[in-house]
Amino acid sequence: MNDKKAAAYRLGFITLAILAVLTIVEFFVAVYMETLVLLFIIALLKAAVIVQNFMHIARLWREESH
Amino acid sequence: MSAVSTTHESHDDLHAGGHEVPYSTQLRSNRLGLWLFMFSELFLFGALLTTRFVLWGNTRPDLSQEIGLLATGILLASSFFMYRSEVAIANGDQKAFLRSALVAATMGIIFFIMVVVMEWNIFGLSGDLFGIELFGHLKPSDGVYGGVFFAMTGMHALHVLSGVAFILIIWWNGRRGFFTAERHWGVEATAIYWHYVDVIWVFFYPVLYLMGKAV
Repeated sequence: MNDKKAAAYRLGFITLAILAVLTIVEFFVAVYMETLVLLFIIALLKAAVIVQNFMHIARLWREESH
Repeated sequence: MSAVSTTHESHDDLHAGGHEVPYSTQLRSNRLGLWLFMFSELFLFGALLTTRFVLWGNTRPDLSQEIGLLATGILLASSFFMYRSEVAIANGDQKAFLRSALVAATMGIIFFIMVVVMEWNIFGLSGDLFGIELFGHLKPSDGVYGGVFFAMTGMHALHVLSGVAFILIIWWNGRRGFFTAERHWGVEATAIYWHYVDVIWVFFYPVLYLMGKAV
């Protein structure tokens, strides 16, 4: 497996781990804290992580062929 | 959309009057188009989200937390596999691309079944597993709670279904050797669309299942 592919796979695992942790935190915040603002912030964080790491939004303004 | 490409325009092409758009230019246009489409869809989902808060206020229907959390986990995992699929084809690994795409599609179908069969309970089933209620009780006719819940999850489920269809299409075309490490826009577009479906659920899950007092 080349370095670039391995790094990309590693990023995938890290992103999934972050999403899993945030989801669990979100659940406990909802059950024990009942705060809408914090729940929205967690959702925004999860969305940002997906948009940045999985959806490669940076490619929109980066010059690359693939 | 076919991406006609050359890495350089030959003297003869120019003389023939042909305009060959470099693949990198076509790719950037495709990406911008896709993101603009997704931006437009934000208005649709945003309207549904706003409706939820206007009609439910600080309350929500009493839904199964187990189904909600499990379905969310499955959808997040499917996004992970779709990402792996895209990375694989970008690095020329056809087998990993096909395998991961199929896993992502399967998890998408499981999510769809969990929403439609379990949460919506379209077959009117009942039962529990280790004390956990497996099937929902809310109906579309249950006032504002039923109406909004089914509208939001229904619109999202339609996107899940279309996303699964796209994944299966690229899987099928991938088996026929359609995609390469240098050219796989179909895979990239499908992956981005699938992640978008996931992002929508990232907001829908807490507003439907977690926010507000259960009534």
